Amino acid sequence: MSPPVPSKILTDDVSLLMVLIDTNPHFWSSIKPHFSFSKFLSHVLAFLNSILLLNQLNQVVVIATGINACGYVFDSSSGSVSQRAESLLPKLEEFAENDESLSERDDDSGNGVGSSLLSGSLSMALCYIQRVFRSGPLHPQPRILCLHGSPDGPGQYVAIMNSIFSAQRSMVPIDSCVVGIQHSAFLQQASYITGGVYLKPQQLDGLFQYLATVFATDLHSRNFLRLPKPVGVDFRASCFCHKNTIDMGFICSVCLSIFCKHQKKCSTCGSTFGQAKTHDPSASQQR
Amino acid sequence: MPQVKIVAKNFMDMVASLPAMKLDKLYQNAFICQAILRSMPPLAKRYVLQLLFIDAPVTGKMLEESVLADGLSKHKVAIDRLVQLRVLTEALDRKKEATYRMNPTFQMNVQKLIVHGGVLPREPMPSTAGFRLPSLEELDAYAVQQWECFLLHLISSSEAEKATTNISSSMMKVFQRGLLSQKDDKEPPRLTEGGFQFLLMDTNAQLWYIIREYIGNSEERGLDSADLVSFLLELSFHATGEAYNINTLSDIQRAIIRDLADLGLVKLQQGRKESWFIPTKLATNLSISLSDTSSRKQGYVVVETNFRMYAYSSSKLHCEILRLFARVEYQLPNLIVGAITKESLYKAFQNGITAEQIISFLQQNAHPRVAERIPTVPENVTDQIRLWESDLNRVECIPAHFFEEFPSREVFEAACDHARECGGFLWENSKKMWLVVKAESFAYMKEFLRGKKQ
Repeated sequence: MSPPVPSKILTDDVSLLMVLIDTNPHFWSSIKPHFSFSKFLSHVLAFLNSILLLNQLNQVVVIATGINACGYVFDSSSGSVSQRAESLLPKLEEFAENDESLSERDDDSGNGVGSSLLSGSLSMALCYIQRVFRSGPLHPQPRILCLHGSPDGPGQYVAIMNSIFSAQRSMVPIDSCVVGIQHSAFLQQASYITGGVYLKPQQLDGLFQYLATVFATDLHSRNFLRLPKPVGVDFRASCFCHKNTIDMGFICSVCLSIFCKHQKKCSTCGSTFGQAKTHDPSASQQR
Repeated sequence: MPQVKIVAKNFMDMVASLPAMKLDKLYQNAFICQAILRSMPPLAKRYVLQLLFIDAPVTGKMLEESVLADGLSKHKVAIDRLVQLRVLTEALDRKKEATYRMNPTFQMNVQKLIVHGGVLPREPMPSTAGFRLPSLEELDAYAVQQWECFLLHLISSSEAEKATTNISSSMMKVFQRGLLSQKDDKEPPRLTEGGFQFLLMDTNAQLWYIIREYIGNSEERGLDSADLVSFLLELSFHATGEAYNINTLSDIQRAIIRDLADLGLVKLQQGRKESWFIPTKLATNLSISLSDTSSRKQGYVVVETNFRMYAYSSSKLHCEILRLFARVEYQLPNLIVGAITKESLYKAFQNGITAEQIISFLQQNAHPRVAERIPTVPENVTDQIRLWESDLNRVECIPAHFFEEFPSREVFEAACDHARECGGFLWENSKKMWLVVKAESFAYMKEFLRGKKQ
């Protein structure tokens, strides 16, 4: 049952930073007049380089989050010494092409911006971290940074929540930096639960400054620094049956699955429910 | 017991103590900026990153704002360090508030490193040049062997047995200064207290000590210490195991490289036409600020509760080091068996080694099998080592002054309080109105009592 909890860390400020980059092409084209993807990348690359510069033992891994696939595009520990973040560009390009070709095949993403596969990249990051935990007694302190813009996909609710809880269990904070127009409820919850920082920068032109001041801070220094606090967290859940975000709904009394309409049988654990008395929901939930 | 302690000073402390002019000159080299940035405490790194693209001076208050109350001391340490290294310059603005501004050369170089990346001062030689490079393991083995050779030399010369080492003796003198003392030419040199303590330090601390001596000595040999520091830092950014042509070095640097090769920091190789040097781990670790990197080395010592000690090692050096504080009973091909006895420890204490050093040595070099256990070294053994040490210094002598015949009880009590305040209070007898204070606070007391009289 018990996961291998980080027992011994290298030193206080050595960190393993997993960066999840949102590459959703629909999203980036939608905010292009304000902030282009290439501009975004130049800020992020400078940030990654500065992380690598701060400590020779720091490690950076970049995972691209597309709309149909996720993939590792950069790992500073592989290959020769002093690898620079610019080397991720060809791989990122390759990934984007591959991602696009996948979406052409099953052409069902017609409506709006669409969401990117945050759940997939989160799980990939957590897998990588687990491998680092198991590699030996000495490892850097891991944390995850989500650079996300696309709106939340309610369909990924369960998968994302599971990733969040497993991150919480292995004590990996999830930082989120939202570059989109709306706040992301998923990431608000992720950062809140895992003790990370959630930030939606006001001015995207100064993205590097936000990244360097807030997200470059190692876990050790966070103990005595005042970092941005969440103003309010959107705790609304998605129902398991239609993947809609709901304020109120029905909950299975056995496995706590959430449904927007009354069901005869729980689709998750199979337990049968009695008849609901009135149109009052049998259990209402505000979380 | 005299408390002579070699402070395993960090390489960067030495850099920080360079005069301002030389420091500013150092920052023209981007790699030195990088090394210095990496050596800073975490909070200082954060400030550098935060101010990196800000050209105007920033008030100290603004930096302090982001720190929680219990981190204030860390904030002060970070700012002090930055000012000491001249990365930030302090100034007072019109409202008499401290403002900080980043050293423009340093700022520009770090910006460049982040945005464009840096270029090493020299390129490694192409591997097609028709020679075989040693593998990383071979190189490590070479570095360790060379280093142990140096340490063995240190021990053996104190025991007057001439070991056959291939280290040039002129450099040896510099490195060993302060560690060995020689009364006259006939007598063999003896290890000083510092020397004994040196042997028990971990490799990185030892390396720093030697390098510090080397740099401290450089002016006598007509070298500029800033040049030397910058070359050493540059060297630490070379890739381990790559060959670099020696012709790319200046004459001074070539001489330095030769000295460093004796210590195992670089390996020199000679081809048919040209020669090259290969940096080892020791060299590339130079700029690392962590002091615990060496503890990743595998240990070899097991101490049992019955004071017996087993060391799984075939190294002569390990045997000699253990002999400093333990009785070595027999040696098998891969095992040294010994015991920690009162006599052997007394010998160590006489040589100036402290109980804490012995204990931390045993803990740091514990065999992996026992290293997982808590405590690594049995408690009864550590306690006994400490007790035996405190046995030796039951009486402490402190130069003191004795006061008597106070005019009144008030004056006596005020004097006692004052002595306590200035930390010089040793003993009092209120019945007889006697007071004993430390000699160093005698002047304060005299002044105080004179003030009372008037």
